[in-house]
Amino acid sequence: MPLSQISEVDKVSDQFEPKIVLFACNWCTYAAMDLAGTSRMKYPPNFRVIRLMCSGRVDPQFILEAFRDGADGVLVAGCHPGDCHYMEGNYKALRRMILLRRILESLGIEKERLRLEWISAGEAVKFVKAAHEMVGQIKALGPLQLSAQVKV
Amino acid sequence: MEKPKIAMYWCSSCGGCEEATVDIAEKILELADLVDIVFWPVALDYKEKDVENLPDGSITVSLINGGVRMTDHEHMVKLLRKKSKIIVAYGACSSWGGVPGLLNLYGQEELFSRVYSEVPTVENPEQVTPSRSTKVDDVELMLPEVLPRLLPLDRVVGVDYYVPGCPPTAEVTWRALEVLLSGKAPPQGSVIGASEKALCDECPLNGTKPDRVLVQDLKRPHQVIVDPEKCLLTQGLLCLGPATRGGCQALCVKARMPCTGCFGPLDMVSDYGAKAASFFASIVDFQDEESIERVMDRLPDPVGTFYRYTLASSALGGRARANRK
Amino acid sequence: MTEEPRVGVFVCHCGLNIAGTIDVKKVVEYAKTVPNVADAKEYVFMCSAPGQDLIKEDVKKFHLNRVVVASCSPSMHEPTFRACIAETGLNRYVLEMANIREQCSWVYLDKQKATEAAKDLIRMAVAKARLLEPLEELRVSLEPTSLVLGGGVAGLKACLDLAERGYRLHLIEKLPTLGGNAARLGKLAHVDIRGTEVAGSLISAVVSNPNVTVHVNSELIGLEGSVGAFRAKIRTTPRFVDEKCTLCGECFHVCPIEVPDEYEFGLSKRKAIYLPFKEAYPRIPVIDPEICTQCRECVKVCEPGAIVLDQEGQVVEVVAGAITIATGFQPYEPPEGEYGYKRSEKVLTLFQLERLLDKNGPTGGELKLGESTPRSIAFIMCVGSLVTTKNAHTYCSRMCCASSLKNMLTIKERYPDTEIYAIYKDIRTYGRGDEELYEKTTESLVKFIRFETPPDVKPHSDRVDIEVYDATLQENYLFQVDAVVLSVGMSPSADLDKVRAVVKTGCSPEGFLREAHLKLRPVEAPTDGVFLAGSVTSPKNIIESVMAGGASAAKAAALFAKKEVRIDPITAEVTEEICSGCAICIAMCPYGAISRKEKGEKKVAQVDKALCKACGACVAACPSGAMQQAGFKDIQVMAQVAALSDKRGG
Repeated sequence: MPLSQISEVDKVSDQFEPKIVLFACNWCTYAAMDLAGTSRMKYPPNFRVIRLMCSGRVDPQFILEAFRDGADGVLVAGCHPGDCHYMEGNYKALRRMILLRRILESLGIEKERLRLEWISAGEAVKFVKAAHEMVGQIKALGPLQLSAQVKV
Repeated sequence: MEKPKIAMYWCSSCGGCEEATVDIAEKILELADLVDIVFWPVALDYKEKDVENLPDGSITVSLINGGVRMTDHEHMVKLLRKKSKIIVAYGACSSWGGVPGLLNLYGQEELFSRVYSEVPTVENPEQVTPSRSTKVDDVELMLPEVLPRLLPLDRVVGVDYYVPGCPPTAEVTWRALEVLLSGKAPPQGSVIGASEKALCDECPLNGTKPDRVLVQDLKRPHQVIVDPEKCLLTQGLLCLGPATRGGCQALCVKARMPCTGCFGPLDMVSDYGAKAASFFASIVDFQDEESIERVMDRLPDPVGTFYRYTLASSALGGRARANRK
Repeated sequence: MTEEPRVGVFVCHCGLNIAGTIDVKKVVEYAKTVPNVADAKEYVFMCSAPGQDLIKEDVKKFHLNRVVVASCSPSMHEPTFRACIAETGLNRYVLEMANIREQCSWVYLDKQKATEAAKDLIRMAVAKARLLEPLEELRVSLEPTSLVLGGGVAGLKACLDLAERGYRLHLIEKLPTLGGNAARLGKLAHVDIRGTEVAGSLISAVVSNPNVTVHVNSELIGLEGSVGAFRAKIRTTPRFVDEKCTLCGECFHVCPIEVPDEYEFGLSKRKAIYLPFKEAYPRIPVIDPEICTQCRECVKVCEPGAIVLDQEGQVVEVVAGAITIATGFQPYEPPEGEYGYKRSEKVLTLFQLERLLDKNGPTGGELKLGESTPRSIAFIMCVGSLVTTKNAHTYCSRMCCASSLKNMLTIKERYPDTEIYAIYKDIRTYGRGDEELYEKTTESLVKFIRFETPPDVKPHSDRVDIEVYDATLQENYLFQVDAVVLSVGMSPSADLDKVRAVVKTGCSPEGFLREAHLKLRPVEAPTDGVFLAGSVTSPKNIIESVMAGGASAAKAAALFAKKEVRIDPITAEVTEEICSGCAICIAMCPYGAISRKEKGEKKVAQVDKALCKACGACVAACPSGAMQQAGFKDIQVMAQVAALSDKRGG
């Protein structure tokens, strides 16, 4: 169809279930999530986890790609400042997320959609709480509506 | 032996790329000897019909600059694709959308409203805005339609090669033409005429960097008396050289201006703005939120800074929703 | 990779752990539709022998070159499945796991949504698996020397066990003497020897072993490198007294400077020149450089001329394959005023009591406070533990109950008319013989009062008033005693921050050093080649500390026995053809693994793989994509992300 007729793509449905991509650092957050599992805690089924060694590995390109591919929210989680398994990786993540959030806001993506959390290996409860909170927040914001991507 | 045919066309363009072609100076006469230019709206009087009448695939190379923004751009580039063996996205705008790509931060209504009514110096009491058609002496004239977004060329037609730059320099243009006319085709989709490495590789100031490159503040070029012997990043300027493809011989840096990224990303990078923002944020030498935010406050327009030439080709292509609610 | 990826997907039931929530059959059927999946199977317990056999057979049958296992967390069985596929001849690193148990079936209530999530996770794992490449581990040879930080019972045991196996050791102790906290304890519970003697027997065994070099008055000030080849810098502060000393004691008499004796927990004083305690090792006095005024009175009276005031310190560099941290604990220090602490000489800590009751202590073993012997003593237990007061830790300090009860019995035996109150939040006599100790203590008429709200302790000049609400009998008590003993718990040592800064290892929320896994790897730090022994990780009594010391030695010995270390090859690597030498990556690496090198006339970055710890921080910072992390390359992670919406499959 002519390019001029392609309009906004709507992703609205009655039961909006956000898709949240979660970049979890291996040593802290991933372990906390495993602990939540072994403790049989429950949280909403909206997360798709990508395991990395450190939150410092999270490239902003990954986050933009996630939004492009249907994520309504992105959670980046790593060790507490001062406790990074690799010393300072989480500080680099912090710097990048601060700048990226500003860029995302200019691009019409609300800052609540990119969340940065510090979750240590024993903090299963903190993770579950953050998970519930984030799903609630994204549900309130609604699906991320991207303008049509036009390809050949 | 018939001379190879080349065509050049401009979409949403400032004309700089056309001038760049002419910038190859005396070599243009060599070019005129080597090739047959069959279509070049800015300089020669060929019409659309002339292109339509050519056999398919008979144009060896079509160099297209400018971003695809209007329906007539779309129409012409598709026509040229049909008639050409090789399509080259020439310049930043056709390669990644260029500066006009920043249009994608706004919806059309917003743009029209701003340009035709909100700008303080505009006097438009009857709120006249452009419309697609008008009648002149009982004849209906149509203007092309504006597309919802500005698109880089490769989102509309298949692109064989890219020549980077805003505009590409004379050397880059000549090198690209040499490659194209040499008969030895590089892999499809390559960037030609420029370097495989970032600008730092050819920058004379690269060797002056200390081992650890870190910044604690950001300055605008007018706030620094630039030392021409020291890397600009280390002087507090936001030089995007590390993230930008080289090949321009560091012209801007040699003129004491930090690189703004017009040669676009390197091959391994899919979203230039994200990568450039990542490298810059990484070297901000603070560990607490407050200090980091303070440095970032020195960058009031991060999208305009990091995506100046590449917004249209970025992961999201522009603003998430076309119209602000 | 030029060959077409052929991915095998193996979905585990884990009994009902996964299959009870996720429709495994549907997931397997779905997996078959994902592009490049050549085979998809399910099994009850994929980690079992028949499960692994299934994987191995299918690799051969279907010519698989990539494997995805959808099961429990990789932290459980990634090594298992890596070893499994290696047996088929595949490279260990072409395995990707999808966590559909801990992070799916166990946490999602809705079965349908959990099944959908499992499908998504498998699709994303396959997307990454398609792009995985074979990786070769780097091998580093091991220097069979170990460093042990801390000369307490845990460190001494670690040293002894390793030395007996023939390995070389450097024992580094920051105090002028070995022995640690145990050497300050008197008679121990259940055994007939004193803490000093326990420490002493370990000390003599260690120092007589030719494999051990002891550095007292020393600190580790720098540590570089990684497992197999740590480069350590040890700084020794001078003692200012050498072996010519005959311990005549003349210098102690003439020294004009006096400070509280830290060995005696402040109960007595010592001079600027002092012998830490009678059985100290080495038995050579030391001069405290921070208080010595250089008056030289001691030099004048030293006949053998053993005092050398201009003795220089030294810094030694040592290469070690492993390092054990056994720097112990410090007793919980109540803030001034807590239960009257430091406001009255009638309030002392359990450790001070130990010194008073010890025959080598400041009162020769006589229970005397000032001039008199207290005829009634209240032990306030759980001080600094179980969140009893504002500054208290949440955890229980383990050793204080048995220790307190032992001391109560000792007092009852030696001073039968003493009235003793044990005011406790909880009694945790868990060890062997401890419950009997508790029974015996109750039988000896110690009065036990359980509290939920901490007692109010008010010292006066002639007595101490105690008010406490007995939570068992639900009555308020008000009584007086002559002395109060605070059974203080264990806190992380104050120097731990310094140690952590040098060794670069993490700590737990309580402030102790964190072990790699609480149950499965209790004596290893997350960093390879670093071991942890004793109360440095959490409160322990002497039995547990000695055990931990032995365990850490066994782990270090197991490491050395391999003769070489294999480094996980998921390290950073530079593509020199793209690298512009922009140097952005260098500042990103906290391990100093990256540097710039000349390549012709230009510069490029290079990574020292033995130093690279594979965090990936440099990769995300690299502005040109020239720096990538093997196994976590941009294209691999991007593919995993993009698979979120991949409409292919299904």
